[in-house]
Amino acid sequence: MAIINQATKELQVKIVYYGPAMGGKTTNLVQVHDHVQTNAGNKGKLVSLATSSDRTLFFDFLPIEAMTIKGFKTKFQLYTVPGQVIYNTTRQLVLRGVDGIVFVADSQFEKMPENVESFQNLVDNLTAQRMSLSEIPYVLQYNKRDLPNAAPMEYMDFLLNNREVQVPSFAGTAHKCEGVFESLNMITRMLLQKFINQSMPQYA
Amino acid sequence: MATLPQLIEEDIRQVDEVLAEFVNQADLLGALIIDKGGFLITHQGNTGDLDLTTIGALASGAFMASQTIAGLVNEKNFNSTFQQGEKFSLYILEVDSECLLAVIFCSATGLGLVKYYGNTAAAAIARQLGLARERNPAGGFDLSMMNLANPGELFRKKI
Repeated sequence: MAIINQATKELQVKIVYYGPAMGGKTTNLVQVHDHVQTNAGNKGKLVSLATSSDRTLFFDFLPIEAMTIKGFKTKFQLYTVPGQVIYNTTRQLVLRGVDGIVFVADSQFEKMPENVESFQNLVDNLTAQRMSLSEIPYVLQYNKRDLPNAAPMEYMDFLLNNREVQVPSFAGTAHKCEGVFESLNMITRMLLQKFINQSMPQYA
Repeated sequence: MATLPQLIEEDIRQVDEVLAEFVNQADLLGALIIDKGGFLITHQGNTGDLDLTTIGALASGAFMASQTIAGLVNEKNFNSTFQQGEKFSLYILEVDSECLLAVIFCSATGLGLVKYYGNTAAAAIARQLGLARERNPAGGFDLSMMNLANPGELFRKKI
């Protein structure tokens, strides 16, 4: 969970991009890295632990310093997980200490089973770490809206956003940077709001 | 889920003192305290322009991966990892259930020396974290001054 360091006046937050393989998680991070407005030195390098064919093997990592809140530097650490089913152990490792999740779904009709499987995998992996989606803020990004075989947003909401509490969902075309910042800003807003509601964070 | 305790300035000062002494004793380039989730907590040493944030995230990932391998080979715990380079080496030692000590040092320095002083430093840091856990955390962190009505305020896209 978030680290609030009273000594160095820093708030550190971890956001994980989750979803099925080839859904656009890494593309989201690349677009944030390429297009975010930051002061000099506030954006770190995008690190990718990927296979030779550019598939994420362990995780991608992008540190960004966003703003100062009441004298505290706010540092965001953005991670992706590997989407391929066989890499579940590494997904569990990356989820450790997560504060917020962006679930990047693939809008193509034929990818719906993979979306549902990946979402259930997220639920299971959080449960294994004694966390749950009712406690961790998350948003949904329905990516690849520019493809001709994209399913309607309502249908994707029916499949992925039908829990007791509906969460914000965004249409995305990540390779054009559409929906990328909307998703990031919403999850950031939600998790900071959670801290405010708790008023006394548990971590420092 | 178990977590790091709330750390106050006194905790960080104590941990920094232990790290600084360790750096001197073992002639280290740097010593970092990292949360197992990948956050850098504090560090000491002459690390210059090294990207410690990223090193922290990667070191945590590497260590946690090795712990998973431990489970796969029916070993209860690999409590340290060591990567040797030509010029510099990296040693990561578990401090407690939530925290790691990552050490960067010249490869000419003996690993035994680093391990010897590292165990002492890790124990001292674990004690300080234990004290922090026992302490009743004082003071909160009020984010209410922040304007959350406009989510676009946090990250802006370059035009």
